[in-house]
Amino acid sequence: MAEIAESPSTTEHPLGTVGASRSKASSSALRESDVDPKTMRTTTPGLKRLFLTFSVLLSFLLGFPFLWKTVEIYRSPLPFGDMDALSKQIESSPLQFPCHFQSVFLNFDSRSSGGILDPRELRSSILSEMTKLTSQTLERQCGSCGENFTLSVVVDSGDRACRQSDERHGNGLTPNCSYKCGALGALNLGDGEAVDEALRSALDESCSDYGGKLYTVVVVNGDGAGEGPKALVGKHRHGWISGRELDAEAMIGRMAEMFVKIFMNGGREDGAIHGEFMPVGADGRVVLSFSLLNANPDDWFYDWDFQKLDDTLLNPVIEALKPIANISVESQVLYHTPKSSFSYWDESLGSYIFSTKDLPFFVNSNEWHLDTSVAAGGRTKILQFVVYVPSANECPLSLQLPSGEISKTNGFISPMWGGVMVWNPQSCIKYSGSGPPARLLMHPDDLHRIFEVLMGQLRQLFGLKSDSIYVGAAGAYKLLPSEKGFTEWQEHKVTYCLLLFCRELDVLSRQHTCFNLHSSGTTLGSLSRLVQSLPRMIIKDEIGKQVKFSLEAAQLAQTNASVGLYEASAASSRQARSLAEDAFFHPSIMSVSYFSFEHCFAVYSPFFLPVSLHVLLAALREWRRYKQEKAKYVRWKVKQVKAA
Amino acid sequence: MTIQIRKGKRATEPQCLGSQRSLNSEDLLFPNQTGDSKAAVYFQLSNGRFRPPPAHRLIAHHIVDTIAPIFFRVSRTMWLPLRLTLLLLFLLLSPRALLRSGSAAVVSGEEEEFHEELLLKPLPDRKVLAHFHFHSIAPPSKSNGRHHHLFPKAISQLVQKFRVKEMELSFTQGRWNYERWGGFDPISSNNAKPPGVELWAVFDVPEDQVDAYWKNLTNSLSGLFCASINFLESSTMYSAPKWSFRITPGRLRYGTLPREAVCTENLTPWLKLLPCRDKAGLAALLDRPSIYKGFYHSQRLYLTSNASVPAETVSGISLEQTLTVVLQPNSPSSSSIHSGESNFQPSWSLSSIFGRKISGKCVLAQSSIVYLQLEKSIFSEQKDNMDNGPNSLASEGFAGGSGFEMSLDPDIVIEEENQSQHKGSSVLYGFWVEKYNESQPFDLGLKWKYPVFWSSRQAPLHASRFLMGSGNERGAIAILFKSANSADSSSGSRHVSDGCELQVDVFQVVPWYIKVYYHSLQIFVDDEAKPIGDFVHKIQVSPSKDKTSPGMMEMLLKLPCDVRSAALTLEFDKGFLHIDEYPPDANQGYDIPSAVISFPSFHSVMHLLSNDSIRKSPLLSRFQEKNRVQSYTEVLLVPLTTPDFSMPYNVITITCTVFALFFGSLLNVLRRRVGEEERYLKAGKKKGWLRVLLSRLLAKLRGKPMEEPDQPSSESAPLIGKKLVLKVILVAVLAVAWQFYST
Repeated sequence: MAEIAESPSTTEHPLGTVGASRSKASSSALRESDVDPKTMRTTTPGLKRLFLTFSVLLSFLLGFPFLWKTVEIYRSPLPFGDMDALSKQIESSPLQFPCHFQSVFLNFDSRSSGGILDPRELRSSILSEMTKLTSQTLERQCGSCGENFTLSVVVDSGDRACRQSDERHGNGLTPNCSYKCGALGALNLGDGEAVDEALRSALDESCSDYGGKLYTVVVVNGDGAGEGPKALVGKHRHGWISGRELDAEAMIGRMAEMFVKIFMNGGREDGAIHGEFMPVGADGRVVLSFSLLNANPDDWFYDWDFQKLDDTLLNPVIEALKPIANISVESQVLYHTPKSSFSYWDESLGSYIFSTKDLPFFVNSNEWHLDTSVAAGGRTKILQFVVYVPSANECPLSLQLPSGEISKTNGFISPMWGGVMVWNPQSCIKYSGSGPPARLLMHPDDLHRIFEVLMGQLRQLFGLKSDSIYVGAAGAYKLLPSEKGFTEWQEHKVTYCLLLFCRELDVLSRQHTCFNLHSSGTTLGSLSRLVQSLPRMIIKDEIGKQVKFSLEAAQLAQTNASVGLYEASAASSRQARSLAEDAFFHPSIMSVSYFSFEHCFAVYSPFFLPVSLHVLLAALREWRRYKQEKAKYVRWKVKQVKAA
Repeated sequence: MTIQIRKGKRATEPQCLGSQRSLNSEDLLFPNQTGDSKAAVYFQLSNGRFRPPPAHRLIAHHIVDTIAPIFFRVSRTMWLPLRLTLLLLFLLLSPRALLRSGSAAVVSGEEEEFHEELLLKPLPDRKVLAHFHFHSIAPPSKSNGRHHHLFPKAISQLVQKFRVKEMELSFTQGRWNYERWGGFDPISSNNAKPPGVELWAVFDVPEDQVDAYWKNLTNSLSGLFCASINFLESSTMYSAPKWSFRITPGRLRYGTLPREAVCTENLTPWLKLLPCRDKAGLAALLDRPSIYKGFYHSQRLYLTSNASVPAETVSGISLEQTLTVVLQPNSPSSSSIHSGESNFQPSWSLSSIFGRKISGKCVLAQSSIVYLQLEKSIFSEQKDNMDNGPNSLASEGFAGGSGFEMSLDPDIVIEEENQSQHKGSSVLYGFWVEKYNESQPFDLGLKWKYPVFWSSRQAPLHASRFLMGSGNERGAIAILFKSANSADSSSGSRHVSDGCELQVDVFQVVPWYIKVYYHSLQIFVDDEAKPIGDFVHKIQVSPSKDKTSPGMMEMLLKLPCDVRSAALTLEFDKGFLHIDEYPPDANQGYDIPSAVISFPSFHSVMHLLSNDSIRKSPLLSRFQEKNRVQSYTEVLLVPLTTPDFSMPYNVITITCTVFALFFGSLLNVLRRRVGEEERYLKAGKKKGWLRVLLSRLLAKLRGKPMEEPDQPSSESAPLIGKKLVLKVILVAVLAVAWQFYST
C-alpha cells in the first residue's frame, strides 16, 4: 500500500514519506505554490487500484463461460441439417416408384389390321396417352409412379416372329423377364379364370427373379364373342383386352388407361380415402376389433362363432396384408347397447329408417364400450368393426341413402375409426316366452354375409375399391376376384368379393411407403423445430440415436424405392416412421420440468446482479479516475516543460 | 335343538323335464325332521339348474314355468300324470321351438358363464349389508384374450398379457366395523378391505421379471379403473410378502394406496365388465347416491386363471366381482308402535334401501338369486319368547307367526350346519329373480314385529392399531389384540387349557420414511411385558431402504388361548423426504397402510349341506371355501415435518445477498483511498446531499442550529445526477437485453 498516488500537498499522510520526498525532488523545477491540486498533479497516477478492479472484472468475465458450462443441460447433438433436409425433400418431391409396363399385341396380323404394326410407334403413342392421363388426373399423388415408368411393346403376330420395341432405358429388365414370343399361343378366352392362370404362368414365372413387378396388358385379337372389346383385369399383375377385329390404334387409349388408372393407382376414385389416412399404427400394428352389439338382449340376443371365422376367412387376409401391417384380430359381444340416433318407421319401405344424416350420431360412445384393447401397445391403430343387432322396436332397421334407396350393405365406415353394419334378424318377432330369451347363434350364412360387408369396409378403409367393376373414360373394366380374401363358400358356390390382388398390394405398399416416409419426414422436421425452439430442453442420447436410425431407415427406404423393391422399402419406411415417432413422443421430451432459463436466472441473479454492479461500477470509476489523474499529471508536465 | 321342516306354501312343483327329474324327485322325499340341527336343508326345485339347456328344453322350461303356478296346490301324488300332460304340452308346442332353433342354432358346449347373486343381511346395529356377487367364467380356450362372448375382453387380455395367475383389486370407502358387523363370517374375511385401494397379484413369470410385470399391470389397471393405481408402480409402494399374507407363496406382490378416494368413476368401469352393466339384473339396483351414502362401500375384483408356465397353453379365467355395501335403512316413523324402542330393527325393502326395484334378471346370467341371511339366534330367541306350538323356522319365519315378515315367499331355505355351537350360524332364504319381470318387479321387504337382538360372530382376537409418542421426530406403532370372547364371556373360557395356542399372523408394511427399529419390538401379554421369544414363533423382517423399498414385517405369534389382551409395539423415527417427494397436500400427514391380521387356525366357512343347487351357486360355494379368518387394522396417519416449500429460493436469495454484500464491501475496501477521503472531509468541500440531509436531521434532533456548509454542493449534485442516470441506464440496458434474450 506504499505507492499510492497522492496529491502533492499531503504532508501528514501516514505513508506519505516516500511520496513527499519524491514530490520534493520533482518540484525542484517548479514551485509548490504553482501547482493547483485541483487541476494538476506532480506525480504519475498509480495503477494499483485500476489493476485490481480490472483483474476482478476480468476474472468475472473469464469465469462466466465456466459457470455457463456448469449450468448447461445435456443435449444430445441432433443432426438438424439432415432432419430438415429430409423433411424438405419429402415435402417438395414425393417418392416416386419405378413402374414397368409391357403391352403385348397378340394375333395382330399385318393383313387384318391393314398395315404392319410398328412396336416403336405403338410405344410412343401409348406413352403419350399415359403422360396425358397422369398429368391430368393426378396432382403428384403419393406413392404413384408419376412419370417414372418404362414401357415395352411386343407385337406377336402368331406364327411369325414377333417384334419388340427394344428400348429398355436401362431399367434393369432382364431379357428373360419380358414376354417370350409365342408363349401365349392358344388362349381360350371363354373362361376368365383360365386366361388369368395362363397369363400368370406365361408372364410371371419367367419374372420371378425380378419380383414380378412387371405389369402386362395383352390385347388379343381373334375369336372373341361378337360384342365389342372386353377388358378384364386379372388377379395378378396383368390384364387383357379381347375382341374380334380389334383396331390396334383404338386399343391404345384403353391400354393407357388400364396402366395408369388400375395398375398405377389401384383403380381408386377421386372420392376415395386419401392414402394419408392409411389406418396403420405408428408401430406398424393394427388391431381389428370386431364387436357384435345386441341393442336389447331382452328381446333377443345373438352370438357368433368368431373363432371359426377368424381361422377360415380372416387369416388369409391378415397374411396378405403382412408387408403393410402386423394385424391382430379380436372380438367381443356386447349387450344393452342402443344406438344414439333415432329412426322412424317407413311404411313404403317396410322398415325403420335411419338416414345418412343420422350417421354422426349413430355410434353411441356412452353405451358402446368398445374398449381400446389392452393387448395393443401404445401407438397401435385399432379399427372397430361393429355389427349392430337392433332391438325389437326398431327392427328391421335400414340405412337410407341420400338418393332415397336403401343401402345394400346397411353399413357405413368412418375413416380411421372403422365400420358399422346393421344386421337385422330374419324375423323381427319379439320372443314372447315367459322366461328370458335364449342365446341364439348366428347362422353361418348370415355370418358370411356380414363378413363380406365388413371386408368391403376394411378395403375401403385401406383406400381400395370395394366393387369389382371399374368404369373409366374409355370403357368399363371387369376386375377378376382373387382367392386371397374370400374363398368360395362351399355350399352355395358363391364367390365373394375379393379382398386383395397382387396389384392392389403393390399399390398399397407403394402408398404405405410413401405415407410412412412423409410422416417420418414431417415428424423429424417438427422435432428439429421443437428442439431448436426450446434451447433449455434436455435431450437424451436415446433420442439422438432414434433420430439417427430413423434417418438411416428413411434413406434406405428411399434407395429401395428407387430400385423398385416394394416390400423392403415398405418395411424400412415403417421402421423410419416408428423410430421418428418414438423420438418425438419420448417421455423425456414430454416432461415439462426442464431447467428453464427463468429458473436459472432466479437462482443466480441474487448473487450476480449486485456483485456485477459493484465490480462494473468500481472498474468504471477507477478508469475514470485514472484518466482524470493522468490528465492532471500531463497538465503539470506541460506546465513544467513550459516553465523550463 | 330340533327344527321341524315343513313344506312351504309354494311347495314342490318340479319344473324340469328329462333325466334330472328322477334324481330330483328323490330329493323331494326329504325327511321332514332331522335329529339335531345338522343338515336341515330344504329347497325347492323350480330352477335347480343354472346352465341353460338346449333351446327346445328351454322353451319347454318356460312353458312349464308359466303353467306351473296353476298346479300349485296339486299334491305330489298327482305329479306323474301332470308330468305326462306337460310332456304332451311340450310336444305340441315344440314345433315353434324347433323352428326357432332351426334358423339359429343354440349355443352349447363349454361356454363362458355369468352368474349374479345378491346377499342381504340385517346387521345387529340396525344397518343392512348388501353383498353383490357377480361371477364370470371363461373356460380354457385357445381364443381367450381374443374372442369373447360374455367374459370381459379387457380382463382376459390383461391376464394374458401380464401372465396373472391370481389377482385381487379392491376399492373401499369407510371401515368395516369388525365388532358389530362380524369378523368371522366369509364376508368379513373376504370382503372387508382396508380403505383406499388394495392390490395384490400372483404372476406366472420367472422371479426376476415379476417386478416388471407388476409395474405394467399397475399402469394398465390404473387406466382400466380410472384410479391412481399407477402409484403402486414405484418400488417404495409395494412389497413381496412371503408367507403371512397368503398361504400360497410364490411370485406375489402386494401394494395399497390408503388415501385413494373411491367414487363413481371407479364403479363405472367396474360395471362395464359385467355383460348387462347396470342396465338389467341385480346391478340395476346400484343407484349411485344411495350406495355411496352408506357406511361402508367396497368394490372388489378377484380373478384366478389356471395358467401354466408356457404361454401357448390355454387357460381358463374366473372373475369374481363383488360389491359390499353397508347401508342404513331409513326407518319410516309410522312403521310401528314400538318406535319408542331404540333397538327395534328398522323394517326395510329393496326399494327403500336402494330406491329401485329389480325388474327381472340379466338375461345373460345363468343364475340370478337374491339371498336373505338371518342369524339363527333370532329364531331361538323367538322360540324362547313366543314358545308357540310348531317351532318351525321355515314356515313360521315368514308365515306371520314370528318376529319378522318377508314380503315375498322364498324359493329355497338353506340352513347353516354347525355342530359345535348354534351361535353364529345362520339361515339363508333364496329368491329366484327370473320369476319377476317389469310388470311384477322384485322388491323384497323385511318387516320386524318384535325387537330382536343378536350379535355377529367375532374373530378370536380383535385387532386395533394406534400411534404412540408425540412430536415430529419419533414415535411408536402399537398393535393391540383384545380377546373377543372376554366381552361376552360365553364360550371363551372353554378353551382354557395349558396346551392351547392361538396363532396370529401379522403382516405389516411401513413406508420407508417411517424408519422402524425392529429390534425395539416389545410384547405385552395381559398388560405385562414378556420376552419376545416366548410368543413370536416366526418372524421375518425386510427393513426399508431409503427411497427404494418399504419396510415389511411378517410375524407369526402364538398366544395362549386364554389371553385377554396382547400388544406389540415398534418404535420408529420419522425420516425426511426430498423436496420433490412431498405430495401436494403434504401437511395432511402420511398414511401407514393397514396391517393384515389373520388367524391361520381359524377358518371362516359356512357348512351348508352340499347340494346340487348350492354347488352351482358361486356365492354359496365361495362361502363354503375354507378361508382363514382375516382382518385389517386401521390406517394410521403420521404427521411428518413439512418444510416451507419456498424455502430453497429464500435460502438462495438470502445467501446470495450476504455474499454480494461481503464481496461488494471487500471490493470497496480494496479500492478505497483513505487519505484522500480524509482530506476531502477536512476540506469539507464534498458533501453529498444525503450527508447534508443527515447532518441537518442530526442538528434538528440535537436542537442546535444547523451550521451551513461553506459551499453548497453545487458541483456534486450534477455528479450524483450523472451517476443516477448511469445506473438507470445500466438497469434499462439489462432489462432490454433480458427482453431481447427471452423472446
